[in-house]
Amino acid sequence: MKTYATNDVVDAVVIGTGAGGAPLLARLAQAGLRVVALEAGSEKDPTKDYATDERAQEFLFWNDERLSAGDNPLAFGSNNSGTGVGGSTLHYTAYTPRAQPDDMLMRTEFGVAANWPVDYHTDIEPYYDELEHFLGISGPSDYPWGPKRKRNYPLPPLPLNGAAQLMQRGCAQLGIRTSPAANAALSGRYYQEGIGWREACTNRGFCQAGCSVGAKASMDVTFIPLARAHGAEIRPDAFVTTFDRDSQGRITAVVYVQNGQTYRQKCTTVFLCAGAVETPRLLLINELANSNGQVGRNVMAHPGLQIWGEFDEDVRPYKGIPGGLISEDTHRPFAGKSADFAGGYLLQSIGVMPVTYVKQMARGRGLWGQALIDAMSRYNHVAGINILGDGLPYDHNYLELSDELDARGLPKPRVYHTDGENEKKMNAHAEKIMRDIWSAAGAKNVWAFPRAAHIIGTCRMGHSPDEAVVNANGQSFDIPNLYISDNSTFPSSLSVNPALTIMALALRTADKFLMMRNK
Amino acid sequence: MASFRYPIGTVRALLDTDHVTPATRQALQTRLDKQPEQPQFFTPDEADLLHQLSARLFPQPDTRPSIDVVSPVDHRLAHNESDGWRYDLLPADPDAWRQGLNGFQEAAQAQFGKPFTQLDGGQQDDLIGQIQQGTAIGTSFTPLQSKRFFEDMLAELVSLYFSHPLAQEEFGYVGMADKPRWDRVGLNELEAREPGAL
Repeated sequence: MKTYATNDVVDAVVIGTGAGGAPLLARLAQAGLRVVALEAGSEKDPTKDYATDERAQEFLFWNDERLSAGDNPLAFGSNNSGTGVGGSTLHYTAYTPRAQPDDMLMRTEFGVAANWPVDYHTDIEPYYDELEHFLGISGPSDYPWGPKRKRNYPLPPLPLNGAAQLMQRGCAQLGIRTSPAANAALSGRYYQEGIGWREACTNRGFCQAGCSVGAKASMDVTFIPLARAHGAEIRPDAFVTTFDRDSQGRITAVVYVQNGQTYRQKCTTVFLCAGAVETPRLLLINELANSNGQVGRNVMAHPGLQIWGEFDEDVRPYKGIPGGLISEDTHRPFAGKSADFAGGYLLQSIGVMPVTYVKQMARGRGLWGQALIDAMSRYNHVAGINILGDGLPYDHNYLELSDELDARGLPKPRVYHTDGENEKKMNAHAEKIMRDIWSAAGAKNVWAFPRAAHIIGTCRMGHSPDEAVVNANGQSFDIPNLYISDNSTFPSSLSVNPALTIMALALRTADKFLMMRNK
Repeated sequence: MASFRYPIGTVRALLDTDHVTPATRQALQTRLDKQPEQPQFFTPDEADLLHQLSARLFPQPDTRPSIDVVSPVDHRLAHNESDGWRYDLLPADPDAWRQGLNGFQEAAQAQFGKPFTQLDGGQQDDLIGQIQQGTAIGTSFTPLQSKRFFEDMLAELVSLYFSHPLAQEEFGYVGMADKPRWDRVGLNELEAREPGAL
């Protein structure tokens, strides 16, 4: 494996190895660049180190404390964060629907959020196509929503588990179309360029606590080995604290702490890919790239309301890909009529691991005593359905540095999140539909768990240096050799899970960077 | 619909089979073998209170040794470990726990003139409900702080309790036995190693 000295002036340092960093790292390495990735978390061998046990897997989460403020405080830790070589993809659910073109034009369609400064068909769609085939996404041959894809998914869908079958049954009665979902987990063995064979999913149902068989396309089994095969160096347990800069303000070295020692890696370009909390936090701590005061603004989260129910059938919610079924019939639920909220959402069936489920019953229903024991005794009959909706940016939702220091001596981030009218109306709309679906499917003891998933925004990309932190290529307006590649740059949150789009933007940022460099 | 209760020993027997990976076996066996430790963070009174509180929050069968949830919380707080976030309106975890547990004592004194640990089960349940709703008198938390603290505390305690193989056995969970794979994943489809309800 190739290594560099900290005094070598490498072409690029990539901070973070999740969905924003790893694809870009591989692309730059493939182009022959000398690249080093700094990852705050550690590197493990999933086949040996991962247990099928939620508590034992807590090392996958970013467990440095964040302060959650506002009327709808966001949960972090297991919900919205990740660490380790592979970042949050180590515990993403692998749900990989494409955004639709109108997701990126919320300003044009509804006068809210901001349009994306890129063109869906030329800037995003080709990367979706490339990613689906590189990652080995399992999905239906005929996907009912969005523009027709150039090529089918490379693998057939994964088998439907109990929750997926129940949602299929409920939706069929109500005339709602459904489809097996696109999931970045292999329904069959798959050969991947630069990597070799990856084995098929064993239906462990444990995606959100780490895949131990390499079937899920997390970065550690896809873009990271590809990057290494082309000479990239990955340094785990390397926590970036600051930067050295020259008299023009350009970054000359990335300063990081590894095993208690401080190092300075010299470089010509930096790609900051630490996610929508750590990316703005690092910039705010160092007062960088923020001449217009936009860093930390526009915090968004996906309305992710869940509806749970108990069924007569044996469901066994621990088995099978958790999000087996999808419907995007609610993508624009008021098409043709005047909408009472902007945007839309997707519907998804959900299996659930037991500790996650009981924790939600504690928080969402406040159950304790015999009522809790009784409810948990019906765990094997539980199935869920949830939405993933477009959450809007508001002035009142932002990230700032608090006065409290963490164990590293750095200020803890404080994140304000309060639903707006749009989120309230969307959740109300979705709750009725989901309760109807579950009722049609035969559910009893139905209950709702309001939640938000995926923190997004905080370093918006756009055309104007007055309103955005980076341009459409991810390049900082203030510091030309600093790029951002992660979900912090999203101008709107999309009505789909973000991972596939983060990766698409990462590849595009790498390609644009390489193009400019070769000029 | 049937409630689940597996034959006693189901999970422990599965742990010794090839259906469980070495990493999974080690995590669960360590938990099974773990003995309660002397509190480092909690005072003996606080630890006693939390034991009694836990017994009301999730009553345990008296047919097996009780699962200890106090030691893991104590260990976390003594080492200032976090789960990644906290409600901004609450103080830091060690202070929140101290203040929160003290709130049960304060509310018990205000209403019954004696410590929480000397109340009967029904009285304890009344106070637990009031703390949960933010309506308890005599405590230093605001109503919203009281609700949030209770929610956080309950979520942490139930996560610890239901992570234990003995508790998992009692609600019919064998998801840890996932080798070599699950093929029968649809409704009413069981593998041989997934017992039906007793």
